[in-house]
Amino acid sequence: MALIFLDNTSGFAVSLAKQTSNLRLKFNPTVDPNMNAKQHAVRIVAGLKKAGVDFVATLPDEKMVEVIRSVEGDPELKHIPLCREEEGIGICAGAYLAGKKTALIMQNAGFLNSCNALTTTCLQFQIPTLLLIYYAGDMGDRGFTTLGSVTEPALQALGIRYVILRKADEIDETLCGAQILAEDSKKPVAVLLTKTVLGVK
Amino acid sequence: MMQRYDFLKAIAGDAGNALAVCTGWGAREWWALRPGDENLKTRTLGLVSSIAAGLALALPQRKVIAIDGDGAFLMNLCGLPTIALQSPPNLIHLLFDNECYEASGGTPTASHVADAVALARGAGYKHAIWVKTPSEFHSEFVQACKRNELTLIAAKVEPGQPGDLPPLRLDEIENKYRFMRYLEETEKRGILSPGFDSKL
Repeated sequence: MALIFLDNTSGFAVSLAKQTSNLRLKFNPTVDPNMNAKQHAVRIVAGLKKAGVDFVATLPDEKMVEVIRSVEGDPELKHIPLCREEEGIGICAGAYLAGKKTALIMQNAGFLNSCNALTTTCLQFQIPTLLLIYYAGDMGDRGFTTLGSVTEPALQALGIRYVILRKADEIDETLCGAQILAEDSKKPVAVLLTKTVLGVK
Repeated sequence: MMQRYDFLKAIAGDAGNALAVCTGWGAREWWALRPGDENLKTRTLGLVSSIAAGLALALPQRKVIAIDGDGAFLMNLCGLPTIALQSPPNLIHLLFDNECYEASGGTPTASHVADAVALARGAGYKHAIWVKTPSEFHSEFVQACKRNELTLIAAKVEPGQPGDLPPLRLDEIENKYRFMRYLEETEKRGILSPGFDSKL
């Protein structure tokens, strides 16, 4: 409901209809101006290690390049750069059987590439892994809307639990929580990374 | 030309306690020749080499054998440069090329034009070789074990297998757990969680 007062002398209208203020779809992600992509990446990798991850296979997206650089530079993490995300699922499955705690860092297109391996190796054989998936085509993201619109339905179709991570101060809790679910259920669990949590535009 | 079984038979005795990753019809042959919980049967076409590589990277002190086929090999060409980049010295990648999708009805693969050894070399494998006979295969295998560097040994084989093989009675999930328990026993550490009240 809108109440509009017209002040004849100054000629301006004051609207108290706050409920309708979101009609203009301008997405304003709250990127902390004090943090940049490198700092966010350091926090994400620290969160991975806090969760117990020690083996990380990656295939880059531009928005996650700092995360991958941090993984590569970390002596406590075994980093496997991939040619295709699907083979990374296989490598992580083998590593899991031998006791590694694995994660894959990829874009959501890469997740789609991996769906067979996730299904017929991870789900079928009860092999967990932590999927850090950059969410291209998320709300407000131009250029990837087709990909973005199938990402969550595809995760749901495979029965893979996922959470969308937006805030830097939720990194540790989310990655730890996802890793606990993955290990306990022996299934892959996905954390969708957004531009805000990555500290990128 | 001989069959895959003849080549596997030539090396089964020298596999020692190497872990073996296999799939399809070859799994039944391998289990008949070297039964045990150190064998893992997989399902996803193409991932024998990647899963074996993951094991090899996680267990650098153990030999890991990948028993691959041409259909799977061609499906996972993307995996070759990744494996070559890591170059796990303890991985021995065996390829039995019968030029068909044997476990999927027997139609031809492209391997009669696509040379697997050339592909592996092109992807970065330093050691990749075709062998013609089981005895050559055996000799290359023994050399690969000693050499301790990533190696592909490939052989063209006739499709098919002996008719009198014992049936492979395998629950694939049971196999996975027995494989993990075997690793726990031989590596002397826990891998599977002890129970729901374990702490992260």
